[in-house]
Amino acid sequence: MRGAFRIRLQPSALAVLAAGLVALPAAAGTLDKVKQRGTLECGVSEGLRGFSEKDAQGRWAGFDVDFCRAVAAAVLGDAGKVNFTPLSAGERFEALKQGKVDLLSRNSTWTLGREAGLGLAFAGITYHDGQGFLVARSLGVDGALSLDKAKVCVEAGTTTQLNLGDFFRANSMSFEEKAFPSAAEALAAFQSGQCNVLTRDQSALYAERLKLPKPGDAVILPDVISKEPLGPVTRSDDFPWFNIVKWVNFALVNAEELGVSAANADEAVASTKPDVRRLTGAEGGFGKSLGLDEAWAIRAVKATGNYSEIYERNLGVNSPLGIPRGLNQLWNMGGVLYAPPMR
Amino acid sequence: MKKPDMTRILGGLGAAALTLALAWPAAVQAQGKGMVPPAETMDVGDEPGRVSTEEVTITEGPYARQMVFFRSNEAPGTVVIHSAERFLYVVQPNNRALRYGIGVGREGFQWSGLVQVSRKAEWPDWRPPPEMLQRQPYLPRFMAGGPGNPMGARALYLGSTVFRVHGTNQPETIGQSISSGCFRLANGDIIDLYSRVPLGTKVVVRHKATI
Repeated sequence: MRGAFRIRLQPSALAVLAAGLVALPAAAGTLDKVKQRGTLECGVSEGLRGFSEKDAQGRWAGFDVDFCRAVAAAVLGDAGKVNFTPLSAGERFEALKQGKVDLLSRNSTWTLGREAGLGLAFAGITYHDGQGFLVARSLGVDGALSLDKAKVCVEAGTTTQLNLGDFFRANSMSFEEKAFPSAAEALAAFQSGQCNVLTRDQSALYAERLKLPKPGDAVILPDVISKEPLGPVTRSDDFPWFNIVKWVNFALVNAEELGVSAANADEAVASTKPDVRRLTGAEGGFGKSLGLDEAWAIRAVKATGNYSEIYERNLGVNSPLGIPRGLNQLWNMGGVLYAPPMR
Repeated sequence: MKKPDMTRILGGLGAAALTLALAWPAAVQAQGKGMVPPAETMDVGDEPGRVSTEEVTITEGPYARQMVFFRSNEAPGTVVIHSAERFLYVVQPNNRALRYGIGVGREGFQWSGLVQVSRKAEWPDWRPPPEMLQRQPYLPRFMAGGPGNPMGARALYLGSTVFRVHGTNQPETIGQSISSGCFRLANGDIIDLYSRVPLGTKVVVRHKATI
C-alpha cells in the first residue's frame, strides 16, 4: 500500500520528500549561516598526507584544506576564517547532513549511490584519483600492459582487488595475486620482495612509496585503471550554497587556464582581457547572482593560489609526495580538468 | 577560444594548433604583447669550456626521463614542450608520453608556437650571435663542438627559428629558466631524445597564458 502510494508520486516530489526526511536542521540557507557565524565549518580527513594534515605548528595544511580556505576567502573575505573538523570515513556524511559542517572536503569519491541515497551533492571533482601500480624499478616496465605474469600485492576484500582481476582478464594477461588483510601488510610484502607490483589508488601509492627505505627504487606506472573522482560535498537541499562551492572550484581551474595566480592577482584586476575581467569581477556581475560580492573569485585565487598552485604546493612533483599532474592537468595540457566558462 | 586573437591561439589550443599547421613555418611568436622573438642564434651556457660527462642523465625526481599519463590529440611521436612546467613530452599511444626535464628561456626569452625539426646535429659548434656577445662580451666568438661546449651533445633545430632543443654542459640547470629561449636537456637525455625524433617531427611549444 505504502509502496504503491510512493510510485504514483512525481520524482520531483519524491526528492523533496526525501530531502525533508534526511536533512534535519539544514533548510535555512547555509550561506547566511556562514556569514552570520563569520567562519566556515569544514570537514576534513583525520590525517592524510598531502590532502589534510596538521603541520609541525599545529596548522592544518593540504590540498583539501586549501580548498576550504579558498571557499572562506570567496565567501567571507578571509581564508583564515575556517574551522576544521577532522572526520572519520564512517562519520563524515552524517556530520554534513546534521549540519555540523558546511562543507566536506575530505577525499571522498563521487558515486551515484552517495548522491541518490544520502541527500548529498558533490560540487565537482577537485582530484581525479584512480587505481594504479607501483612496481620495482628493477622490473624495467613503463606501462601496465607490460605486467603479464607479475606477482601483485593487494589489500583483500576491497574494490581494488576486484579491479585488479578485471584489468588483467580484460587485457588477456595472467598474474599471481597476493592478498593481505591490510594495506600495511601488502606494502610490507612488496618491500620484502614477495611481489614485484603493489596496487592501490594512485594518491595512496605515492604516499606508500615514501615509506619504503629507498623510494627511488620503486616507480608508479602512468596507467590509471579505475575512476575515483574526489571532490567537495554539500547537502543536496541547499542549491545556492552548492553552487558557490562548485564555482569556487571552477574559478580556481579557470584561473590556472587564464594564467592568473596568487602572484599576479593584483595585476589581473587591471587586465583588459575579457575572460580575466570576468574572473576578477571587473565585469559580468556574477558575484551578486551567487549572493557574494564581485571579487569573490580573485580573492580565492589570491589567498590560496589557482588550481595549479594548490596542487603543486601540496601534491606536486616538487612536494614530498611528488605526484605528476597526470589526469589532474588542464584539458588542453594533457589532463581532463575542464571548467565551464565564467560568463 | 572564440576570439581570433593570435596570442591566445598560439598559446596552445590543440585545435588551433592544427589549423596553424598550414601556416608553418611562420607560426612562432614570443610571449607577451607583440614581442618579437629575441634574435639569438643559440642558447648560452655561461661556462664554455666546462666539461660534463657525455652521458649525464637525470635519474631522480621530476626531471628524470619517465613515462607519464598524457592525453593529447597530437599524433604519437609529436614533441610537446610546456615551458612553464619545464617539461618536454614525446607523445606515445594509449594516453601516455615520455617526459623529459628541460631548462627554458629566462623571462622575456620564452615563446610559444608550432614548428618542425628542420635539422639535427651531433656535438654542434657554437657561434654566439652579436646580440648575445653584446650582453655577455666574455663569450668566445666560436667554439667547436665537443664536451666543453654549452650546446652539449646533440641539437634539434626548430624550423627556421633561431631556437634549438639541445644538450648542455651544465646539467644541474635543468628545471630552471636561464637560457636565451632554447630548450636544454642533460646530455644523456638529449642523446636519448635525438634517437627518437626524426627530421620533420612536429614540435608544439606552449607557454602559460598571460593576463
